[in-house]
Amino acid sequence: MLKIYLRLWQVNWSEQWQYRANLLMYLLYWLVSPIVYLIVWITIANSQGSVNGLTANDFVTYYLVLLIVDQLTSDITIHILAYKIQDGTLSGDLLKPIHPILTNTLVNNLAFKALTLMALIPIWILLSLFFRPDFSAVSWSSLLLAVPAVIFGFLISFLLNATITCLAFWTTRVYSISEFYYALVVLFSGQFVRLELMPPLIQQLSQYLPFQLFLYFPIKLILGELPPQLIMRSFIMDVIWLIVAFLLFNWVWREGVKRFSAVGA
Amino acid sequence: MRHAFRLILTFLKVNLQIALAYRLDTLVNIAINLMWLGWELFSLSIIFNNTDTLGGWGVGELIALLGVFRLVNTLMAALIWPATEKFNSSVRDGSLDYTLLQPANSLFLISFSRIVIWRVWDLALGFILVAAGLSISGGTWTAFSLLSFIVLVMTGMLVIYSLWIVLVAATFWFIKFDNNVTILQALLDTGRYPATIYPPWLRLIVTFLVPIAVATTVPLQALRGDLSVGQILLFISVGLVAFLFAYQVWRAGVRRYSGASS
Repeated sequence: MLKIYLRLWQVNWSEQWQYRANLLMYLLYWLVSPIVYLIVWITIANSQGSVNGLTANDFVTYYLVLLIVDQLTSDITIHILAYKIQDGTLSGDLLKPIHPILTNTLVNNLAFKALTLMALIPIWILLSLFFRPDFSAVSWSSLLLAVPAVIFGFLISFLLNATITCLAFWTTRVYSISEFYYALVVLFSGQFVRLELMPPLIQQLSQYLPFQLFLYFPIKLILGELPPQLIMRSFIMDVIWLIVAFLLFNWVWREGVKRFSAVGA
Repeated sequence: MRHAFRLILTFLKVNLQIALAYRLDTLVNIAINLMWLGWELFSLSIIFNNTDTLGGWGVGELIALLGVFRLVNTLMAALIWPATEKFNSSVRDGSLDYTLLQPANSLFLISFSRIVIWRVWDLALGFILVAAGLSISGGTWTAFSLLSFIVLVMTGMLVIYSLWIVLVAATFWFIKFDNNVTILQALLDTGRYPATIYPPWLRLIVTFLVPIAVATTVPLQALRGDLSVGQILLFISVGLVAFLFAYQVWRAGVRRYSGASS
């Protein structure tokens, strides 16, 4: 099984490497919003000393960590899978004796991540030199704890996205559905601003939803801002949502493949 | 001129028929569009729950800025994206020949033959946001500041359109340059907030290199009375020069084009 993954990694890595110019453009596109939000909030923090007790440095560190965590936990499944279901090329994958999503699509995601991260790191260093974050609150133990949190976050995000992509078995409007899903991510994950500054209702809802596990929880964990019982609670949410997402995906995938009749077959 | 006007009307009609064939998609698109508008207003309300001004700009002015931003965004989504898609593939496969052979200006045909018609709705929303923002801000503006605002919005659009022409014409020299417009789209998001809050390097990029701010921040600055008459005239002449320059680049590119099939 490990050999299969290794081989898939080689194939997907070279496939992604072909499109490195596109990848760089994608990275640029994706970088702009967080940097703009960062500038907006430090402008406010600097003009009045602090925002709700948060200093400019609290925003700088938050968004700089967000850049890395978002790259690690986000997911491109809809772009690499939906068209295969729609134009029928999925049938080739279905013939192979391995689960096409949990192997090929997963590894493709990881190869994409590795490449974008390679390009992101020099940019990130430049941004750090410019914004001069004070990372003294970050400790080795918080970084170590963040590793499982990021892996959980990515797996949940991947499975939920794969579930939505599999709706392509039923409807051609899967990209619109995915956009609604993305709006929920924007609202509840802490992508726009630290959730502390969101209205109380959003904060409360986000505790039970999976989206803050992609960004807000790992970031706060790295910054060492969470008390132990909240860390425990969030990891329990991680486990629960991973199980829910896996069961959901499995069900939608099984029903979808049953319905699937490839175009031109 | 009358000829061009009739052509645009025909293009609108054809594209309206295309849109009507996909009615449900049009409705879904409008719903998604409204959803993002809701989010944009909500994010502004979060910002202004924590502060009274952002770089000296109040909430009304930022709503008006959002309106201008959406006008520029409509220009991108309704005209520039579909035209680019068509253009890039037609250079690669040689079907640009048919466009060049037609008895009308080639740049005109490329720019306006594809229009995403439901975006007209977005245009209306942009105007509503500008009007609402202005009335909330309660600022005092004169006939002159309103006029310079309108002229500068059009100038800004012209500058972005000119940059697009240059980027797209680059395809004549570099056939594989099909990422040509992404840079424009990537920096577009900076237009949601006043460029005056950006650090100098970013302000330089969005003013001179990829002039998003010229189309978004600058018109509102004129409306607020932040710009002198000289500056306003400067921006207008920059817009005109940019367009004339871009048009020459386009013509040089067309002369270079030899058709993929021949």
